[in-house]
Amino acid sequence: MKKLLVALFVLCAAAQAQAQDKAQLDKAKAEGKASFYANITAVEPIIKAFTTDTGVTGEYTRISTSKFVATMITEFEAGKLMADVVQAPLPVLDLLKEKGVLATYRSPAAAGYPDWTKKDDKVQIFGIEYVALIYNKEKVKAADVPKRYEDLALPKWKDKIVMPNPANHATTISWLIGLKENVFKTEAEWRSFLQGLAANKPMFVASFGPTPAPIESGEKLIAISMPKYIVTKAPAPLDWARISQPLMGTPRAIAVASKAPHPAAARAFVDYWLSKKSMEMLAKDVGEYVLAPGIYPPIDGIKEAKVIAIRELSDAEIQKWGAEFKKIFDVK
Amino acid sequence: MDSARTRLTWLLIAIVGALTVCPVVMLVLGSFSEGLTAFGHFTVDKYVQAYTDPGFFEVMVNTTIFVLASSLLSTVLAIFLAYLNTRTDIPFKFLFKIISIIPMMIPHLLFTVSWALLLNPSNGLINLGLKEVFSLDSAPLNIYSMWGMILVEGLLDLPIAYLIIAPAMASFDVALEESSRVCGAGTWRTLLRITLPVLRPAILAAFILGVVRSLASFAVPSVIGMPGRVHVLATYLYEMIATGFATDYGKAAAVGMSVLVASVTLIIVYRALTAESEKYVTISSRGFRPSVIELGKARMPLFGLVSLLSFVLIVLPVAVLIYTSLVPYSMVPSAKAFSMMSLKHWTDVLNDPISLLSLKNSLFLAVVGATLGVILSIFVAYVIVKVKTRAAGVLESLSYLSFSFPGIVIGVGFMWFFVQTPLYATIWALLLGYIATYLPYGIRPMSSAFVQIHSHLEESSLVCGASPLTTMRRIIVPLLIPGIVSGWILMASMFVRELTLSVVLSRPGTEVLAVQILRFSEDGLWGKLSALGIVMILISTTLVVMATLVGNRFKAAQG
Amino acid sequence: MEIRIRGVSKYYYSDGKTIKALDDVNLTIPSNKIFTLLGPSGSGKTTLLRCIVGLETPDTGEISIGDDVVWSKDKNISVPPEKRGLGMVFQTYAIWPHMNVFDNVAYPLQVRKLPKDEIRQRVAETLRFVQMEGFERRPATKLSGGQQQRVALARALVAEPRVILFDEPLSNLDAKLREETRKELRAFLGKLQITAVYVTHDRVEALALSDSIAVMRAGQIVEIGTPQKIYFDADHRFVADFIGRANLVKATVRAEEGGCTVVDCGLGRIVCQHRDIPVGSEATLCIRPEFIRIVSGEAPAGSNLVNGRIESLVFVGEAYEVEIGVGAEHLLARIDPDAHLVEGDAVSFTLNPAHCLLVAI
Repeated sequence: MKKLLVALFVLCAAAQAQAQDKAQLDKAKAEGKASFYANITAVEPIIKAFTTDTGVTGEYTRISTSKFVATMITEFEAGKLMADVVQAPLPVLDLLKEKGVLATYRSPAAAGYPDWTKKDDKVQIFGIEYVALIYNKEKVKAADVPKRYEDLALPKWKDKIVMPNPANHATTISWLIGLKENVFKTEAEWRSFLQGLAANKPMFVASFGPTPAPIESGEKLIAISMPKYIVTKAPAPLDWARISQPLMGTPRAIAVASKAPHPAAARAFVDYWLSKKSMEMLAKDVGEYVLAPGIYPPIDGIKEAKVIAIRELSDAEIQKWGAEFKKIFDVK
Repeated sequence: MDSARTRLTWLLIAIVGALTVCPVVMLVLGSFSEGLTAFGHFTVDKYVQAYTDPGFFEVMVNTTIFVLASSLLSTVLAIFLAYLNTRTDIPFKFLFKIISIIPMMIPHLLFTVSWALLLNPSNGLINLGLKEVFSLDSAPLNIYSMWGMILVEGLLDLPIAYLIIAPAMASFDVALEESSRVCGAGTWRTLLRITLPVLRPAILAAFILGVVRSLASFAVPSVIGMPGRVHVLATYLYEMIATGFATDYGKAAAVGMSVLVASVTLIIVYRALTAESEKYVTISSRGFRPSVIELGKARMPLFGLVSLLSFVLIVLPVAVLIYTSLVPYSMVPSAKAFSMMSLKHWTDVLNDPISLLSLKNSLFLAVVGATLGVILSIFVAYVIVKVKTRAAGVLESLSYLSFSFPGIVIGVGFMWFFVQTPLYATIWALLLGYIATYLPYGIRPMSSAFVQIHSHLEESSLVCGASPLTTMRRIIVPLLIPGIVSGWILMASMFVRELTLSVVLSRPGTEVLAVQILRFSEDGLWGKLSALGIVMILISTTLVVMATLVGNRFKAAQG
Repeated sequence: MEIRIRGVSKYYYSDGKTIKALDDVNLTIPSNKIFTLLGPSGSGKTTLLRCIVGLETPDTGEISIGDDVVWSKDKNISVPPEKRGLGMVFQTYAIWPHMNVFDNVAYPLQVRKLPKDEIRQRVAETLRFVQMEGFERRPATKLSGGQQQRVALARALVAEPRVILFDEPLSNLDAKLREETRKELRAFLGKLQITAVYVTHDRVEALALSDSIAVMRAGQIVEIGTPQKIYFDADHRFVADFIGRANLVKATVRAEEGGCTVVDCGLGRIVCQHRDIPVGSEATLCIRPEFIRIVSGEAPAGSNLVNGRIESLVFVGEAYEVEIGVGAEHLLARIDPDAHLVEGDAVSFTLNPAHCLLVAI
């Protein structure tokens, strides 16, 4: 009897939820479109699928990380924020949250996500911008592939490394700090690793974007880069070093804007975004590491890898460490 | 006549001022206000922080060397090419037109990357070749250095310099040179003592534009300077705004102010140096067909040199682009690479609705923007050259205002400004921003052309009873055709590949080519990027050919 | 059409200094006459012309053409050049290089929106008048200097302006062509009943062309008169010196005798044309080289007779130009090319009192 009641209750709740969903979708359709401001790239297929599946037009505005906060705040303060949904690295959304740009919304689609991804009732984390050692599998012998991060400091990699500039690239700075906090036992070990890496004179580029090209062409052999390129740049001879330590990255998060012109559409979009279908597309087509349970990018070995989110660093901390790294890596 | 001119001057000051001052004012506000936007509590902290950085001095020294040397390189090369083209019997003159224009259409990012592919010390093609030929152990050339930056930036700015100097050289009164020859001076001496000094306004203009351009340039400092750890202002600014997530453009604007001051100073110096440009009036009624200098034995070697230059400037980067668009990923040319070639990137790009939309938008902006820009430039150049009052000086400085701000910063200034207007997030914001920022590209060739139109030609039209507008239409504009064509080409091809403003101002529906290219580059998708880059070059080429044909038809119609 | 200029001044400012290009000029240019503004460069003649035509704006005064005030500081009138209905020939001719001869000449009519047939007819007439018929299709860049000058004239005349202005129109031509063109111009202008204002620094041009000459210096009009008056009877030493070659000798007025003024100077006692200069005061005696007559026998009565010595002798074709030393003075003279004289010869010469001109210092 009790069971029956529970079942009935669940059924009712489900029906009610469905009814709610339906109501929300109708409202969203009436609003017509959902504007999506994001720093994540290559998500056009998801936007398209959203439009087809829901009948609400998805509109994707790509804003690079360095201009994200400036653009949002400028529009917000002028009362012209056109975004319904905002996606950016977690620290960016936290900044926006402080300014009151984000609305409260807990998506039912996030139900299966790990608890730590639901930081509060505004921001939902859905992925990790994971960083790994990416090498040219045609030029690097299997035996030479690093087994641990420390191997990157070996002299054999001198003039063979490419990485984003650790003096200013926020994700790289955070990643190096992540190594200190999650991988190395003592700060001294970490510092000697940094010095070894610096002595190998890595080539600095502005961001992760330009890191795979020199590896593909053989100009450099190994990069501090992102495994997603193995998917997006196939059939390039890229592979990632299966190291014994965890992979790390900055969390990617999503939220509804507080003054969203299309609030129902915004919620519908977030629900859709967090759904299994979207996350599968994100993993499969873009190679992203997503936190929806059981979904992995089609990269050999990633399923087994431990991927952790780096602690959020404040801008002051990033700048302080950027200056520090500038000194450490300033090898002429 | 004077009062009409004064009215025109003030009208233009109002228009140009509205276009260029507003974003700069926003940046000034931003640099003095707390927080991340233009409106906050007053503070000078940003200046203190920006200018007390211990690395700032080295950056300034590097910047000075980089900017002066690259402008010098582009100006000298431009003089050389312009002289050969307009004044000598060098064969295949059409090559010069190509040299002068094609590099302008290649996105700077791609051009720079092509050079890195050729000259990087690990597997740069030229280095590999040199190692092979001279059996060297290590690569002899390293592009990731100051000289590499100077070389590539110099080549990038060459087209602008050429397009300013060549028309001036073409309409030069031969009598001035002939009299020097008669006085017993040889070709060289005449060139150094007569031709170049008389062309001083155009040469200085080219040099200053080069300085301003390389100050604002980002592609070369980031692709070549950053790996070589040669930091200049642009990368310093980038570091400042890119470190952390809450980018403080106000602080970047604070640094930008010194660039602005430097640029405005340069323009004032330029005006002072060319204040007596009346002296250089060279086209009168006596026709403008310069005599041709026979190169004799030097003809073929010089031609060889020009061919080499065009190879380096056009064939190499375009070949690299085509190659990159065909191979699946970045590969050194090899049998394997050729066997893997396909049109995949091309079909991807041509089936991508956003790429197609951006193509349409860029084309619209180029054609409409360049046309409006050129019309405005004609009036502004007229006032700058012919009216010459203090107000005209103000106008000239204004026209350079947003142009001389480093690109990454001015874009934000425009965003801060347009967000206060209903134009925000429309294609008109892009259009106005483009015109405001690249106005000097229209004004410079036009004023070089104006300097050489004797004021009597205009005055006689007024005395004949024609109104100032009729005079503009029937006398001045037709005489300016070469300048107008140059200006239009410069602006249109600039607009086709405009990035710095677009990346801040473009929104869904107003995507443009360069932004799309940037997206590809941020994702490391060089193949698609190259395919779209070639599309971009093709569009610009079509526009340039059209502009040239229209210009020629005008000339032909005039008999 | 009469042109009246009242109290016109024009200042330029450069390096903190004020330059008076025109300094309170008052002038009436008579109707249907050829009026010349003559002066050295920088005297303000071109500025004055440009003020009349409207290309420069004066700082003070008033200019009227016929009954119309075209510029007035006080009445705040400023008619732009295109509304003044004038014709002008520029020093550079300003033939538009992108048009052919027909278009250049037709331009003033085209901007007045005349019917095409009438334009064609009037252009043809005007070109015939300047003897350029058949050149209609010639590109402007393919014209010789003289042809350009005529096209410029045709363009200035075609709209039948009230006044035609010339700004040194012959200075770009070679000497022979200049002389021919001058004659033609005189003939053209003679046939037209038109007010012509002509600016030049060339005294021969001024004398040959003008009905009336105004000599300018430093932004002021020094003297106005017929060519004869200016040449023979100038009131000012500057004018006398500028209008032709002159020997200038310091003199002191001694007496008034028989309608003549008598002076003492380095040449001795000389009887001169009458001038109202007080006895005892200083003046300048001005003698033109062509009026120095060498005598080889009896001296004609009533003339001043002076003795001197030939110091140098230059053959210039139609005459010898000789320098004659008289005491400490050196006089330039033009003498008959047949004269058999050599350097060092003693000579006597006469000076007709009518050609001995006294001007204030």
